[in-house]
Amino acid sequence: MDIKAKLILLALVPLCLTSCGEKAFADHLDDYVFTMKYHDNFNILQLTDIHWNYNSSTVASRAYLDKVFAQVQRHLKEEQGENAKIDLVEITGDLFMLANTFHVETLVKYMEEKADEYGFLYAAVWGNHDHHGIYNPNWLSNQFKKAPHSIHIDEDDNLYGRSNFIINLTDDGSKTAATKWQLANLDSGASFSETAISPFRDYDYLRKDQTQWWKMEHDRVGVDVPAIAYYHIPQADNLKAWNAIHYEGATYKHKFFKLEGFGDNGNEAYASDFIKVGRENNLKGAFMGHAHNVDWTVDYDGVVIGLGVKTGTELYFAHVDAQSTKPEVQEGLASVGINENFDLIGASLVTLKDTVGNFDLEHLYLNERTSGDFVRWVKW
Amino acid sequence: MKELFNKENYLSSTFDGAKRKQSAIVTALLCVFFALSAFTFINALYAFVDAIGCIVSGSPDVAIKELLRSLPLILCFFMTLWTLLLIHGYYRNASPEKRQKSLKKNSIAILCFAGITILYVIVALIIGKFTSIVEGSPFPIYPLDTVLYSVVFATIGVCGLVVMPKMAAKHEYVVPSRGPIVTKARFFYCFGVSIWMLVALYGAAGFVTGLFIIDFFHGYLAFSIALMVVFLVDALSLICWELVYNKLKEEARKKLLLPLALVGLCVSVFAAGFYFIALGFNLDGPANVGFGVLPIAFSASVNIATLILVLTPVIASVIALIKGLILRKK
Repeated sequence: MDIKAKLILLALVPLCLTSCGEKAFADHLDDYVFTMKYHDNFNILQLTDIHWNYNSSTVASRAYLDKVFAQVQRHLKEEQGENAKIDLVEITGDLFMLANTFHVETLVKYMEEKADEYGFLYAAVWGNHDHHGIYNPNWLSNQFKKAPHSIHIDEDDNLYGRSNFIINLTDDGSKTAATKWQLANLDSGASFSETAISPFRDYDYLRKDQTQWWKMEHDRVGVDVPAIAYYHIPQADNLKAWNAIHYEGATYKHKFFKLEGFGDNGNEAYASDFIKVGRENNLKGAFMGHAHNVDWTVDYDGVVIGLGVKTGTELYFAHVDAQSTKPEVQEGLASVGINENFDLIGASLVTLKDTVGNFDLEHLYLNERTSGDFVRWVKW
Repeated sequence: MKELFNKENYLSSTFDGAKRKQSAIVTALLCVFFALSAFTFINALYAFVDAIGCIVSGSPDVAIKELLRSLPLILCFFMTLWTLLLIHGYYRNASPEKRQKSLKKNSIAILCFAGITILYVIVALIIGKFTSIVEGSPFPIYPLDTVLYSVVFATIGVCGLVVMPKMAAKHEYVVPSRGPIVTKARFFYCFGVSIWMLVALYGAAGFVTGLFIIDFFHGYLAFSIALMVVFLVDALSLICWELVYNKLKEEARKKLLLPLALVGLCVSVFAAGFYFIALGFNLDGPANVGFGVLPIAFSASVNIATLILVLTPVIASVIALIKGLILRKK
């Protein structure tokens, strides 16, 4: 072998190694599955875009989260009776941005304390900023994998993303019992360059292999099982539905606020097939985060697609001005029936009502105020 | 290039034992404060980049609120950097009067940075901006850690004002770095070197941090290695200039600048090429494994940080090459 060939071989070794150790997801479908016991009025609280960062006061942020949990618990007891509780907390990405190990350990510790206090489990999927910190992504995943009340998986596999997992809600909570609902948790990635020399980056999207993976997982429990998906970055469908309503006269049921873009990829070439395939496979809802000034939700041909309410005041959030003449503000205000100024922060709540796919959705707007906190629950 | 390894070509060859010792201490101090500057730089950058994110997202109120909380962290970076520049500049000045003046001026500046930081934390505690002296975030005992750090630097400032002038009176100072400070187009020179220094600090911090936080597997090995090479080249580019080239005698510098620049250019072009090829294989690499050490590229829509990191050593080498050619013609 001449020196030139040796150099080429040496250069290729790292590239070859990049695919070493990965396992094929299709051969290990069971490894992605967790189970919980289903009951009617199964309550799923969605927190999103908490965004702890170097500038955050975790003390202040925890005080806010305390209020959210307490408010949700109070609301559930009023609506569903004394035994009602939060069963699962779905955290749809961007828990962190420009954070370090202190933030991660503090948040996990906090969630464990709350899980003990309220009796819930919690599941986190990664957003486009969660790997944007002074910690190793494996370390981050391990913190959530080893926390007793956390549901999390990060497989070294050939499936795109790192937080793809399934929560099957079964009759008795075991893997062998019949599944009544399926909750799909997907990693919608972060961003990518179209070419190696692109000056700009595009938001990532749910890849075809992720759709294929979810369909395989769903086929395993039965096509009739209703499903809900949780991920971070909105896909092209949100904007398609918005445009259909606002420019093409479509009459889909829709509600809440859209005060900025969805922050989706925006390029038709990268439009995900997830919602389309989901619609054909009993997907009832898809809830995400990412765009903090948006919690707009739409029933798009049988799949309720909506952004959760941004949780807390980190990074940015919308100050909704009731006097604004902007049509998007007025449209949102009219849809929620609020006629005073408030900030678009809080949480979202999904309650699974039965096993045939019915669920309730409510948005909580909670603002801390010295004169008494602003609290509004708005039903979908 | 053989002359690079000839001890006779270095200023230190003319030093006696005491001067050599002094030169070694200065070099060691430069290394310590370079490392501290790199560490505090990445912390300040994290705080700053988040605030920019708030502004870009239309929430300047959040940016102000957050920056006010992180101000001690940012001040710690500036006081460290100031000390690094003080050590670097002080020993380059041939005039004893100018040295004394510089020492006094810069020691006061360091004392001011340290004093403001301590005072700020006290006021922030009184008005409730911090709920406790060990509130935590981003570090377990923040802001107490910044107060302790400031106390150390205040001590350095006091030494600069009280102890150093007495020592200077007793000892003859050596000049380990290049003697004459550039006077022509000084603004552009200082601006260029400052950018180069910040990139080198970023490279040093990125390389060391990267060893711990970059996920070399999960399908991103090639990109991760390429990123580390870029960081290393960024840091080495300035370190070689400061610790090798600037320690050469005037005649040796004239002879060696061109070959050194050529080596620098080859290495930086190789690093750039490797990076772009690896990126081609992992187009989502920066976001999925590299954003922790690429905080400037945090936004999902810009690649500017990587471009700056990749291109700066190339540009530095090209400038050195041009200068080398000019010197050779003379």
